[in-house]
Parts: sequence; structure tokens; C-alpha cells
Amino acid sequence: MSLSRSEVSRRRRPRWRVRTVLPLLLGLALLIWIMLPLVPVLLWSAAGAWRAPDVLPSSWTADAALSLAEPEVLMAGVRSLGLGLSVAVTATVLGGLAAFGLRGPTPGGSPASTRLIGFVMLTPLAVPPFALVMGSNVLLLGARAPSFLGVLIVLTVTALPYTTYMFVTALASYEDRFEAVARTLGASPAQVVLKVRLGLLMPAIARAGFLAFLVGWSDYITTVLIGGGQFITLPLLLGSAASSTGGEQLTAALSLAMIVPPVVLLILLARRGARGRTSS
Amino acid sequence: MLTAAPAVILVLLVLGAALIMVGLQSLGLMPVFGEPQLSLNAWADSTSLLESAGVSVYIATLSTVLSAGLGLLIAVYALTAGRGGRLVAAVSAATIPIPHLVASGAIGLLLADAGFLARLFGMPEGFPQLVATQWWTAVILEFAWKESAFVALVILGSISRSAMALSETASTLGASAWQRFCHVILPLARLPLVVSGLVVFVYTLGSYESPWLLGPLAPEPLSVRAVRLFGSTQLSARPEAMATALTSVVIAVLAIAVGLLLVRRSGDRS
Repeated sequence: MSLSRSEVSRRRRPRWRVRTVLPLLLGLALLIWIMLPLVPVLLWSAAGAWRAPDVLPSSWTADAALSLAEPEVLMAGVRSLGLGLSVAVTATVLGGLAAFGLRGPTPGGSPASTRLIGFVMLTPLAVPPFALVMGSNVLLLGARAPSFLGVLIVLTVTALPYTTYMFVTALASYEDRFEAVARTLGASPAQVVLKVRLGLLMPAIARAGFLAFLVGWSDYITTVLIGGGQFITLPLLLGSAASSTGGEQLTAALSLAMIVPPVVLLILLARRGARGRTSS
Repeated sequence: MLTAAPAVILVLLVLGAALIMVGLQSLGLMPVFGEPQLSLNAWADSTSLLESAGVSVYIATLSTVLSAGLGLLIAVYALTAGRGGRLVAAVSAATIPIPHLVASGAIGLLLADAGFLARLFGMPEGFPQLVATQWWTAVILEFAWKESAFVALVILGSISRSAMALSETASTLGASAWQRFCHVILPLARLPLVVSGLVVFVYTLGSYESPWLLGPLAPEPLSVRAVRLFGSTQLSARPEAMATALTSVVIAVLAIAVGLLLVRRSGDRS
């Protein structure tokens, strides 16, 4: 005990500081990196006049937010929602079925053919969307498919790798014994599928459906090329606002209109997931 | 096996037919008007096609490296920094549903001349031009912003449980934070890092919105070139658009082959 108390604290303090301040600074830097791009969007969406050197808008207005209530924008929102939900339904159902089919061992299915199917379901990831759209466009035009159906088909193919592998990972830890128990307790086959299987797979269904919804909700290039500018969704309005000069307010308002619904959906899913875990 | 049939048939039909159509049209065998005639005209302007391919590979490579580095940083911070780490992980995950088109618009508002960042710094004389530069700065930053969150999510999703337990054990055995990072987290994160990096590379290679909104007018990456030619009224443009599209598919497939080799090697090591 030859060191006085002040000497001890002098020795300790620098280490203590570096150890707490450095992680704090890194965390702050990461938060700034993640949040900074959203700040001008929020500011512009409510900005009236905002001239060049000013850091903040000089006046505020709800004009941009109100412009979202125009019939043209509302219809685009309805179309985007319809497209997102349609892709969610088709890609989730087809992906779920595909994942069940990939689940070995099955009668008549060899490991090689299972691997081949798994490979085929991943191939859409390797083809850039614009190439897929350009190739299928001629066929869809030839088949005189309505543009909504054409966009839906192409986007379903784009979303299938995600939904399929969401179900493949969920089924890897799936317990068949629950279904067997339900059957021995007298459940009909329909009850087993509806109550046991769908119930147990609900988190995977929600995740897969959410991802597929995002594919339809946020698509730009497929809707532009196949829809030919006739099928106007929110991304198309946003694309034209963002590529024109002086469209900052509208760009910001449309951006928020595109961000809010999926983020709300994500939070709802996360809360339901958390509740499901605590109740089980 | 049978239940997979609808999905497999749909993928094979749409993807197969699309690729065949792209190939036939790039060779002049399916003209919009007139007689089909085999020609390599669409491939003749190889300097322009190669230049576009170079731009695309440049953007995809830098975007992948930045996303992987930042994504790993976010994941490591989330795993090691307690409550602050959980906050960073949650905020980062919340940006995942933001579409690339929205992110491109936001990065435009942030980085443009007289954009929000320049205003924050008081618009100094020498503030660098970031949007529409020959270095594709804003485009690469947009990809890095969106995809680093994706990389972090994949890493956290696959290793958070094992990494937490193992790093606690290492810590009780006296390992420093740096040792835990090098000998516990990094080896565990290698596989998800390579896989997510591969997904990012292929995605950014084929992405249109960001280079279209934030890139210079020339030279064009493959996606922008293909879409411009596809929409052109000139008859000769259609086969060139298809040749451009096919080039992007070839590069993507090559990248995936290389990536899978890396995955296999890192799988062997761990």
C-alpha cells in the first residue's frame, strides 16, 4: 500500500476512459451512419422553403403530406398494396409447397433429384431482374397477358428463392411428432394440417410472406418494363419525382409513404413473434 | 417431391424461356419486325459493352467490400456492446424493409450538391461532388448503406447464439476483447459473411435504381445501358439490349461459381 489514493485514480482513469468512451463513440458513429440518410427525407417532407446554405428549412408546410391524399397517389398506393399482397400469397404458397417437396426422404425421390430441385429454386437469384423482365416481356406480350398478371408472374419467380429457403430452414427443425400426437388424439387430417402444421409454421409463413410482400411493394424495374408505364404504382411515382429537379418535397413524402407501411408491418410481426414465444 | 412441382415448373418456365428469348434476340433471330437473320451485330460494339461490364463490376466489387466490412462491424458491435449493441442491431434491422429506390432518393437528398450533408458543413468551397461522379461515389454509398444492414442481419441471424456463449467462455478463460474477436467471432462469421457478400455482389451487379438516379450519364453500367436500349425506338437497339442483359447474366453466374468455391473452402476450414 505504498501508492496514495490519488495516484491510483490517476493511473486508472485513462484506461477507464478509453474503455467506455471508445465503444460509445463507435456506437454513435454506427447510429449516425444508419440514421443520417433518413434525416433529409424527414425534413424535406415537411419543408416549405429550404434554400441552399440553410441547414434547416426556413418554413414548414403540410403540402407534401397532403399531396399524398390526391386520388392519383392513393390509387398508386392501392395498386402497390395489391401487388405486394398478391406476390406475398403466391410466393408464400408456392415456396411452402416447394420446401415440403424438398424435405427428404420421400418415396420416389432420390437425394440427387432433391438437390437438383433445391438448385433450381435458387437460380432466380443469379439472373438480374432487368434481364429476366426483358426476356419474358416478349412472351407475355405474345400471350396477351394483362400487365398486372405479367408483373405478378415475374415478381413471384423473383421472390420464390427467399420464401422457399425461409420454409426449408423452418422445416429443418420441424417436429413431425406433434402431428402424430394430434392424430392419436383423434384429429382429422384437415385438423392436423390447419391446427398443428399451420400453427407451428406460422412464424415462417409470416417471415416468408413479409419478404415476398416487400418484393412486390418495392419493385420498380419490373413494373416499368412490363407495365409499360400503364400500371402506375408508388415506386413509379417516386422514380419520376426523384429523377426530376426540384421534386425534393414530393420525393420525401412519397419515400415516407413507401417506408411506413412495411416498417409498421415488421414491428407488428416482431411483437406477435415475441408474444408467441412467451406464451408457448 | 410432388408439392414442389408448381414452383419448380414456374421457375423453369419463366427463367428458361426468358433466357432463351434473351439469347435469340441478341443474335437477331427474333426481330421486332422483319425476317429473322443470324447476326452478331449486337455484340459488335464490344468496347462499349466491355466498358459497361467494367463499370458494373467496379460498382459491385466496391459495394460488396464496403457492405461486408460495415456489416461485420455492426454485427460485432451488436454482439459485444450490451444494450448499445442491441440498439444498433435493432435500428439497423429496421432499415431492411426500405426499398433501394427510396434509399437512392434519400442518399440523393443527403449527398447532392447543396444537399443536406454539404449544408451541415456550411457549404465549404472544396466540398467534393458525390452524386453523378466518375467514381460512382453516391451509388456505392447507397449500396453500402442498404446492404451493410443486410450483411449484419445475416451474420447475427446465423451466429448470435453460438458467438455469445463461446465468447463468454473465452472471456472467463481470460481472452481479451481483441482475442475474442479474432479467435471466436471472426471464424464463426466467415461463412455467413462470404454467403451474404455473394448475394450483395450479384444483387448490386443487376440493380438499376441506384446507378440510374445517382450515377453519371456516361459511362453506363450494364443495367442502365440495357434498359435505355430496351426502351429505344431504333430497331437495332433491341438486340443490343439483349446482348447487354446476357452479359450481366454471364458475369453473375461466374461470380456465383467463384463465390461457391470460396464457401466450400471456408466450409472445409471451419
